[in-house]
Amino acid sequence: MRKLAVIVAIMILTLSFAAGCRKKSDTIKIGVAGPMTGDQSKMGMDFKNGVTLAVEEWNAKGGVLGRKIEIEIGDDQHDPKQAVSLANKLANAGVAGVIGHFNSSCSIPASDIYNRAGLPMISPGSTNPQFTEKGYRNVFRVCGRDDQQGKVGADFVTNQLKLGKVAVIHDKTTYGQGLADEFKKALGRSVEVVFYGGIVQGDKDFKSVLTAIRQKGPELIFFGGIYPEAGLLVRQAKESGIKAPLMSGDGTIDPKFIEIAGSQAAEGSYLTFSPDPNNIPSAKGFIKNYEAKFGQIGPYSIYAYDAGNILLEAIKEAGATDGKTVSDKLHSGEFSGAMGKIRFDAKGDVTVAPYVVWITKAGKFVEHWKP
Amino acid sequence: MFLQQIINGLTLGSVYALIALGYTMVYGILELINFAHGEIYMLGAYLGIILLGFFTAIGLTSYSLTLSIILTLVLTVIFCSSYGFTIEKLAYKPLRKAPRLSPLISAIGVSIFLQNYVMLTQGATDKVFPQLFGDRGIDFLSSRISLLQAAIIVAAAAVMLVLHAFVSRTRMGKAIRAVAQDKTMASLVGINIDVVISVTFIIGSGLAAIAGVMVAMYYGLVNYFIGYTAGIKAFTAAVLGGIGSIPGAMFGGILLGLIEGLGASYISSEYKDAYAFIILVIILLLKPEGLLGKASEEKI
Repeated sequence: MRKLAVIVAIMILTLSFAAGCRKKSDTIKIGVAGPMTGDQSKMGMDFKNGVTLAVEEWNAKGGVLGRKIEIEIGDDQHDPKQAVSLANKLANAGVAGVIGHFNSSCSIPASDIYNRAGLPMISPGSTNPQFTEKGYRNVFRVCGRDDQQGKVGADFVTNQLKLGKVAVIHDKTTYGQGLADEFKKALGRSVEVVFYGGIVQGDKDFKSVLTAIRQKGPELIFFGGIYPEAGLLVRQAKESGIKAPLMSGDGTIDPKFIEIAGSQAAEGSYLTFSPDPNNIPSAKGFIKNYEAKFGQIGPYSIYAYDAGNILLEAIKEAGATDGKTVSDKLHSGEFSGAMGKIRFDAKGDVTVAPYVVWITKAGKFVEHWKP
Repeated sequence: MFLQQIINGLTLGSVYALIALGYTMVYGILELINFAHGEIYMLGAYLGIILLGFFTAIGLTSYSLTLSIILTLVLTVIFCSSYGFTIEKLAYKPLRKAPRLSPLISAIGVSIFLQNYVMLTQGATDKVFPQLFGDRGIDFLSSRISLLQAAIIVAAAAVMLVLHAFVSRTRMGKAIRAVAQDKTMASLVGINIDVVISVTFIIGSGLAAIAGVMVAMYYGLVNYFIGYTAGIKAFTAAVLGGIGSIPGAMFGGILLGLIEGLGASYISSEYKDAYAFIILVIILLLKPEGLLGKASEEKI
């Protein structure tokens, strides 16, 4: 009996090994990395759906280089440590390139791994300047940079609202602090920063920091961070009797922000983000196909879709899946995406990064001001 | 601003104190740090949000807000107390004669289990609850106390007074104190130890449930992970006041809330979580038995 059990166990082990070393497949795999679970999973889903749509369209046309395309989805749980291990996993899985990650704190350490493996990496959502400042040839992003984003926010506050006093807070993450610092740097001389400080991501109680801010009487509170904290900040600011509106960046543009803050408290909050895809003519087809398949488009769906298309287009033009050739093609080519024409500069940033100011109105985000 | 920070600190501290009582009572009797206690609080917060959502859906909150909150509190306390009772019977009682480390590890296991259980059944994303109270509040001396803050402070104080009366005046309270002093002697004079331990877990879990519901209403945001931080903070509060001492837990909780509030506003909000632990280290170095704890003598 016991012998039999041992034999069965050995058989199962060998079988699973055999399954592990399948023949090299004749599909082209591309990786999609982002927070697929956890409190930022919505962004991850945008990535997944956007790239899936792009890949399905390519596959319907017969794939790329005569091979079908397959997606390898990875979850970094918006944790830098997970992101690094995921990057290693994707590199070992033999993907031709990676669309991801979302959080700058994940994209930056992961880019080291992809660079070593020579894999092209296109992030649809990492806006921290550092991400493309390492001199890596294989790193790209289709979104803008926080220094461009912070500048638009600061421009709006200085020249449009003409405010005199603002408070600046951030969540101590690479993205949040980066955005807050760029905003602060770009403010005009007429604007005084009366409060600057950090909060802890994941904390729920901001009453004490808000009380300190209220004392300084700012006319606007700028927050560098993601929507759960932004929502709580707005809600608790109103509870503490602060009338000043909140301004934040693209990490906050999520319906959950309004839900957490309550639509009354969220009313009049400003957000810097790219223009509404619904107003871009070239995005019409994308929106129609996406909404037929996955429902309403998320804030990053179009970026993910464009990133996927650009990677596949570069592979096609390069005529190879080898990382270096594809990266060179990405640097030299011009691509037409749903958002319009896209070119990459030497760092891997898009040459034109449009940011506009949005406002929360009656529980919805609407475009408000163009620089 | 100072007064405002005191109000903020008191609100936070009341919640810490309510949770800390559960730690301290269980430790007083079993010398066990019940790591699953933070999860009971998290369950309370979830059930609070679910019940309040249900009452809003059937229109009870618009009919009478007070009634629906009281109903939520009662149901949540019953639910969480039965969780506390069951956990003790399943995970701690079989290990009562085992080395002291075993129930501790069992407690960590229960904690991990409950977290993941809630994550799988309720999802990993934040659950949001709309504000019930709006931003109504009372303004005085350039400070502002919201209705909810006042309710939390008053309710926590009332619950703690009742608990104090229960422990010092009733027969059961006397039995709890006796078991905390010496389990063997208590059983020799006819006290049913099992009943006393069960009652302790039921009370502790009930208090955590009240704290959970209050927090659910106060922040309007719950996720499966809130029990961890709250549990660590409350445990710190219990140690600060002297673990095993009931007034110590109340005092420690309030003190911790005040330290956090004042530290975050006068020094820097970036290290909000650190102040509590800095104070803890100092207290443990200077007065290891805690502020209100009695120095334990070796039993002969």
